[in-house]
Amino acid sequence: MKFRRITRRLLMLLAASALLLGIPAAATAFAGSATSGTGWIRLAHLSPNTPAVDVYMYSFDDSKAMIVLRHVAYGTVSPYESVRAGDYSVAMRAAGASATSQPVLSTSVTIAAGHAYTVAGMGPESGLRLQVMDDALTTPPGQALVRVIQASLKQQEVKVTLGSTVLAGSLKFGTVSDYQPVSPGTHTVTVSAGGTDANSSVTLPAGTVHTLVVLDGASGLEIVNLEDASGSGKPPLGGVQTGFGGTAPHGPGSPMPWLVAIGAGSLLALTGGLRLRRNRQLTVRI
Amino acid sequence: MPTRRPAAALALAAGLVVIAGGATGLLLTRHSTPAMRPAAVGVGAVPAPTGPIVAAFPAPTGPIVAVSQSAAPKPVAAPVSLTIPLIGVQTNLMTLGLGRDGTLQVPSPNMVSVAGWYTGSPRPGAIGSSIIVGHIDGDAGNVKGVFYRLRQLSAGDKIYVKRSDGTLVEFRVTSVQQYLKDHFPTEAVYGPVPDPELRLITCGGAYDRATHHYLSNIVVYATEVS
Repeated sequence: MKFRRITRRLLMLLAASALLLGIPAAATAFAGSATSGTGWIRLAHLSPNTPAVDVYMYSFDDSKAMIVLRHVAYGTVSPYESVRAGDYSVAMRAAGASATSQPVLSTSVTIAAGHAYTVAGMGPESGLRLQVMDDALTTPPGQALVRVIQASLKQQEVKVTLGSTVLAGSLKFGTVSDYQPVSPGTHTVTVSAGGTDANSSVTLPAGTVHTLVVLDGASGLEIVNLEDASGSGKPPLGGVQTGFGGTAPHGPGSPMPWLVAIGAGSLLALTGGLRLRRNRQLTVRI
Repeated sequence: MPTRRPAAALALAAGLVVIAGGATGLLLTRHSTPAMRPAAVGVGAVPAPTGPIVAAFPAPTGPIVAVSQSAAPKPVAAPVSLTIPLIGVQTNLMTLGLGRDGTLQVPSPNMVSVAGWYTGSPRPGAIGSSIIVGHIDGDAGNVKGVFYRLRQLSAGDKIYVKRSDGTLVEFRVTSVQQYLKDHFPTEAVYGPVPDPELRLITCGGAYDRATHHYLSNIVVYATEVS
């Protein structure tokens, strides 16, 4: 009898301490899911002797145009459009031509999530083609990235330098150079061909990606500086300490304390219940 | 022996109460309280600011303007205030840089009601990922920070930034993520992007009372509405 009482008391003590121990709740973090599956595309007309065009972009499984750019003239580059990752086609028609008419030319482009593309009409009108370029979205730490598109028909081959860095030794008409890392700052770009030079001042901050486009100007060459992408030149290290804990914990806590409470409660109720039953039996016996 | 009955009955009753309490707590905490979305119009909601919304670029349809030689994107003015109507955020923006240890500076403990723009990131509305951070809470007495309800945002919600020239730029949330600070995706948050985007950052997840820091960050990704 005495032994049982001690056992019961121990059980109750155990239940009570489990209850107390379980109270400090720990919040748990939920892992972030994958980011949205979108990429970017921009459209350009870089064929010097091709008249203005209407540019259409279609999703692979939809005959209705998703993007229509009207009367796009030589030298025009659209801003980037954010689109869902997948297969698309880009078509060019003469400016003002019916949307249902046969395109002058078209190409397909696969847009991967988190990637950016330039689709440009390149070359001479007689050999016009749509070129798909992969655009960079990362820079080496503290540097800028730059590449050159040669879209001048007047000069078949150009040399492009940025300060003392040669970006392209001899870049042929209708081609694009690879991206090159350069030190950030303001530089002079020089395009030289056939004994003539064209100069332009460009600012390339750290953490930015640029494309320089060499165009036929009204007289001589023109240099267009496109900003492909931009981020923090000096990315902060690690996470951000944006809280002092005054409202913590407030997230969905760990289920453990509650489960422990349920378990302890069950133990307590069971012990009490058993004892009650025993007492009743004793009472009946008396 | 009958004298023992009240104690036993009490234990039984107490046990049942504790079970009920534990079950209630378990159920309640499975729905994280602060994550409940507020009604679109409700207490604490602030109206969307008015002012000229200047699209940085021409609309995607219709004739677009030829890029001239001086085609460097028109510089935009510095941000001065932030409004998120759905979660009642309306704050001026202070400027923040990097600390000596290379981490992002944050508003001081007596400035938890103010958000800040990282001056090393693009300006809101310019091409690139602009960074705005704010506290989730203060250091004592249940003080809520400017971004206490940031995690309640979800895709499609609107964010407005006013700039020093009076222009207003509108963003729409694309996703809300939570990351452990030990696995912070620096490239995704601070890296280059080709369109005007915004990242709002605050703390979340478990609070470590030993280090006095939350273990996670909540990042809201948004893009400009053109």
